[in-house]
Amino acid sequence: MNTDDLIATLASDVPPVKRSAVGRRLVLGIAAGAAVSASYVLLMWGARPDLAVAMHGFYFWMKWAYTISLAFGALALTAQLARPETHRLRWLWLLAIPVLLLASVGVFELLHTPQTQWLAMWLGQSWKQCPWRVLSLAMPIFIGLLWSFRRLAPTRLRLAGAAAGLAAGAFAATVYCLHCPEASAIFVLTWYSLGILLAASFGALVGPRLLRW
Amino acid sequence: MRASEEQLRGLMIAGLDGNADDHAALLRLLVPMLRGFYRRRASGDGDDIEDLVQDTLIAVHTRRSTYDRDRPFTAWLFAIARYKMIDHFRRNRRTQPIEGLEDILIAEGFEDASSARMDVDDLLDTLPPKQARMIRATRIEGLSVAEAANTHGVGESDVKISVHRGLKTLMARIQGGRA
Repeated sequence: MNTDDLIATLASDVPPVKRSAVGRRLVLGIAAGAAVSASYVLLMWGARPDLAVAMHGFYFWMKWAYTISLAFGALALTAQLARPETHRLRWLWLLAIPVLLLASVGVFELLHTPQTQWLAMWLGQSWKQCPWRVLSLAMPIFIGLLWSFRRLAPTRLRLAGAAAGLAAGAFAATVYCLHCPEASAIFVLTWYSLGILLAASFGALVGPRLLRW
Repeated sequence: MRASEEQLRGLMIAGLDGNADDHAALLRLLVPMLRGFYRRRASGDGDDIEDLVQDTLIAVHTRRSTYDRDRPFTAWLFAIARYKMIDHFRRNRRTQPIEGLEDILIAEGFEDASSARMDVDDLLDTLPPKQARMIRATRIEGLSVAEAANTHGVGESDVKISVHRGLKTLMARIQGGRA
């Protein structure tokens, strides 16, 4: 096709674009994926039986504060990497805040628990399943983000993949809180974070291949 | 005459607001810029270059929502152009016979260049913005002095002086760092 014809074709379809288009598209992809993950959790595993009671307690909100703040931090990174000319990432250090806060709750918890119970507290009832469940719940959200990226322009594909994986993992962990009854900071700090990191590594692994445009 | 940053940015923003004529005008202005950009960098034949130009136009169009109205347009454009070029080399590398070694080396060089770019950015950030912008335009984006002057709406001698002073400062800084 000659270049003038190409331009004529392209210029025949020029819908207005909102300033917030990148953010909207990312949120839409995440929301669609999270809806799938949440339905899966509720239908296949069921909500934790004491959800209504737990929502009045500290631990439920500690877990959500951790996963949600990581999720939005990762979303901010993803949004930066969705633009082509991003040379330097801003706000990367913000991700350390929830981790450090949760770690301090963990230390406080350990200090107030007899040493003989430390291991039980760390492993909980579900340490073997937790990271894998978070990783699998991250998949629909990651797919949603892949859809978002089809109209975006990442140029650092591995990093963009990792950021998308991190966001998918953190939102997946947020969804998983609906089911998971574990209530200790060091459990969440270890096994939730491990699941989220697995999702981020997966993203970094497939990013260069799947995010190409 | 080459279009200026302000002109391109104005057309881009009008296009984002839904003005199809301005969008078409923008794409037409980009054609000679992109041809020049790729011709200076790629050793491919005319068809290759025209493919790259068209690919980039399509990307500029379909991914226009990623342009941030508050940032320079040419930086956004050349980031896309550079990405398309690296992608083009990567894609062709797979099927290329060994005679294409030179092209392969060029492609590898671009990969190195993209990681080196981060170091360069750190260094350039230590300079006054104008000097950094002129060095970026002439030494990284590969514009000629006349083109850079046009794009940024300054005089040619101004470009030369900024580049010269900036490079001198950087040189002193790097050598100072080593000593």
